[in-house]
Amino acid sequence: MGKPTGFLEHERQSIPDRSPLERIKDWKEIHEPFDEDKVRQQGSRCMDCGTPYCHTGMTLANMASGCPINNLIPEWNDLVYKGKWRDALARLHKTNNFPEFTGRVCPAPCEGSCVLGVIEPPVTIKSIECSIIDKGFAEGWVTPQPPARRSGKKIAVVGSGPAGMATADQLNKAGHLVTVYERADRIGGLLLYGIPNMKLEKEIVQRRVDLMAAEGIKFVVSTEIGKDLPAKSLLEDFDSVVLCCGATKPRDLPIEGRELKGVHYAMEFLTINTQGLLELKDVTAFETAANSKDVVVIGGGDTGTDCVGTSVRHGCKSITQLEIMPRPPEERADDNPWPEWPKVYKMDYGQEEAKEVFGEDPRNYLTMTKKFSGDDQGNLKGVIICDIEWKMEDGRYSPVEVQGSEREIPAQAAFLAMGFLGPEDTIAEELGLARDSRSNVQADYGRFSTNIEGVFAAGDMRRGQSLVVWAINEGRAAARECDRYLMGETSLP
Amino acid sequence: MGVGTVAAGVAKAKADVILVSGYDGGTGASPRSSIQHAGAPWELGLAETNQTLLLNDLRSRVILETDGQLKTGRDVVIACLLGAEEFGFATAPLITLGCLMMRVCHKNTCPVGIATQDPRLREKFAGGADAVVNFMNFVAEEIRETMAKLGFRTINEMVGRVDKLELRKAINHWKAKGLDYSAILHRPDVGPEVGTYCQMKQDHLLDRSLDNREILKRAMPAIENGQAVNIDLPVINTDRVVGTITGAEISRKHGPNGLPEDTVKINLAGSAGQSLGAFCPKGMTFTVTGDTNDYLGKGLSGGKIIVRPPEDSPFVAHENVIAGNVCFYGATAGQAFVSGVVGERFCVRNSGVHAVVEGLGDHGCEYMTGGLVLCLGKTGRNFGAGMSGGVAYIYDEEGDFVSTKLNTEMVKTYPLVECDDHEIDLIKSLITRHVEYTDSPRGIDLLNDWSSAAEKFVKIMPEDYERVLFALKKAEERGLEGDDAIQAAFEENVAAGH
Repeated sequence: MGKPTGFLEHERQSIPDRSPLERIKDWKEIHEPFDEDKVRQQGSRCMDCGTPYCHTGMTLANMASGCPINNLIPEWNDLVYKGKWRDALARLHKTNNFPEFTGRVCPAPCEGSCVLGVIEPPVTIKSIECSIIDKGFAEGWVTPQPPARRSGKKIAVVGSGPAGMATADQLNKAGHLVTVYERADRIGGLLLYGIPNMKLEKEIVQRRVDLMAAEGIKFVVSTEIGKDLPAKSLLEDFDSVVLCCGATKPRDLPIEGRELKGVHYAMEFLTINTQGLLELKDVTAFETAANSKDVVVIGGGDTGTDCVGTSVRHGCKSITQLEIMPRPPEERADDNPWPEWPKVYKMDYGQEEAKEVFGEDPRNYLTMTKKFSGDDQGNLKGVIICDIEWKMEDGRYSPVEVQGSEREIPAQAAFLAMGFLGPEDTIAEELGLARDSRSNVQADYGRFSTNIEGVFAAGDMRRGQSLVVWAINEGRAAARECDRYLMGETSLP
Repeated sequence: MGVGTVAAGVAKAKADVILVSGYDGGTGASPRSSIQHAGAPWELGLAETNQTLLLNDLRSRVILETDGQLKTGRDVVIACLLGAEEFGFATAPLITLGCLMMRVCHKNTCPVGIATQDPRLREKFAGGADAVVNFMNFVAEEIRETMAKLGFRTINEMVGRVDKLELRKAINHWKAKGLDYSAILHRPDVGPEVGTYCQMKQDHLLDRSLDNREILKRAMPAIENGQAVNIDLPVINTDRVVGTITGAEISRKHGPNGLPEDTVKINLAGSAGQSLGAFCPKGMTFTVTGDTNDYLGKGLSGGKIIVRPPEDSPFVAHENVIAGNVCFYGATAGQAFVSGVVGERFCVRNSGVHAVVEGLGDHGCEYMTGGLVLCLGKTGRNFGAGMSGGVAYIYDEEGDFVSTKLNTEMVKTYPLVECDDHEIDLIKSLITRHVEYTDSPRGIDLLNDWSSAAEKFVKIMPEDYERVLFALKKAEERGLEGDDAIQAAFEENVAAGH
């Protein structure tokens, strides 16, 4: 932007990762510290486009294209290039409450829609974002900013994932007294227990929680609404309630042998792992879950990758990841043009590590799990799988088994990472919340109000499983609507 | 707006096509007095133009074209119903070629290789003519479908049928309340004898031109056999574009190099009409004793034009206007010696002519990209605006040129006396030739006192141009030649971030 020819002079270079064999020895973040000059150079690659798709946040072909929270990407790219880090930080915080999270865990739809991506690798937007906020914290620029005035209104936010935290942050900025309820023992939701430490260090989550607490937000942990505290009591004690409980009901695989010991939901595995890490600060004590075992991960998404990376760190004997879809192409297919989200083959950190350790990418494409086999004691001993083909039947594609492809792979641990179905029923049933056809809480996007007056819903609980940025987007927007409901008008963005 | 009146005027003046260009064009460079009226929708101008032409029975002899953000077949149909029969597209086809509307066309960094000279970026161009064809096919198909619905078989039937347009009833915005569209949707009541679309060619009366009456036949020995000819003729101001038809025949026969210098000498006495010598090639020499109108030597392509007052003229040449506005506009090559003052916009967009004058009006050398201008007298304001190439030398007698007349945005100035001897000699020899051709008293005076006159010359040089020339010289010293040297100089500048 400041330098029109930047993209001609410098090649794309993200913040480099530590070498896989090195980083699997610990649970620290996989990235190396960033080099300020290099990041500035990368900022100069931004082209100051006439139409910068990076910040549009459109939905194209059912995928996010551009930043769902409309980060002012070209602006802070330019500020970074010019070395105006503090201005860049202010610009970044305008739209994003938690850049230190998205800068680490976001799949970066901004980069997928970056105009430079039409002709060469896009700008390293995610690395730049992460560098801005990391520098901000390192320099001590990020300090508690409690609101100058209090409105006297009290709001309960249920759930402390990215949506709940964003809602709480925004409502607190508007001067309301916010209490966040979390059923786990720590704040953060999926940011804490869903995403493993090597992707997002838990001190980083805690740092933000501490900051928000210092700004006046009250966090209540180990309290499950609907069990430890009736949801109705919130309606009595607070002026408004925002529900951000997530879509935590995992998709099950109801096949033979599902009950065997050693078959777990991915989230159980990842949660126990992070809990162990936080409690014990010692990896050896809890690594029995996958240590010296043949591990099968069912599902090829980000959670599957996290299971792979975690199992590798546990010292598994072998690792296999099963994916029912075909291997994506190396480059965009003709029906997947820019600026759509690029559906291309990518080697994520977990697969990269597994490949270094075991010699190959652990992913098996076009495979389906038929049953789990066990020994006499009811322990898992193998997974029976088969190859499939996608065939058009009755106007839709369905997986069809390839005859003779059935085989058993040894496994003493299997993790189900096949996505989430929707929110749990406890609160919805107690309050009598309307649900949509996919079991999500019914609330229109943009209004976020449920069928009960004063109760709002946002994040995965409303839209179904999605990205951290969408959670922040919904959390911010729900806060705005909640503020409008309470005050009759709002100045929240 | 008055655009209808203008259109009627140019239709009477034998225009073949009238283009009503709407929306974005002309918004930036308009004079202050008209900028509020630039960038208006073509719908307004087109409706008025068509109605005026119909009422004056001029519509059938011109093609009415419109453009300005036409993108769909529907746009074309509406334009047609409002009176157009030709339609210009630019943005939309550009998009089909891959344009991303980066708005960096002026920065040489177009990432999709459209508006750039950088070979690295041109390589990235992924578009093709097929995409434009495809787009146009869709537009045509949409037009065809709409025409079928309206019951039209040809575009000609449809031109000006505003009765087929209806106002959207759904528009109930409060801002729409005071709007009256009846003037736009008005169809003048003219009889069946008035043609409603272009049905006949304009008679340009070319047979009455000076070229077709006299010059061409007298120049035939030169055109056919290269034999030198001398043509003496009187000229009056209804003789427009004198020499251009003859020039075209020379170009047709001899190609872009024309004929040897001075092969066809045309000596005119009197007051010449507009566009004397326009586009004339090398080999043609005009000597006008008298004066000339606007557009003298427009697009001159190698010819030589001399304008001088009659010997018995009582005027002081360098204080009196001898040629009109916009002389040598867009000229690419040739020479000019004008003993007198010329009007505004002299040598605008000149890319190659070497011209000597004795004074010029406002906006001289605007957008000039090449060539040389030597002015032996005063200039108007805003000299050298947007001048990206070429060089100018001004005799700055009063010493106020740089501070009051020059637009310094893109150019640097040097005293001539600080330039190398070769350059000083070049200026002196140009003045010497000017005197030989025109007997210019001002030229004679300057030469007589050359050492003190030279002190007062200012050289105007575009900054970027100077840098590229320097890089080019360095490349040539490295042994590169022709296009290779130009490319090397270009890349050096790109690398330096210019």
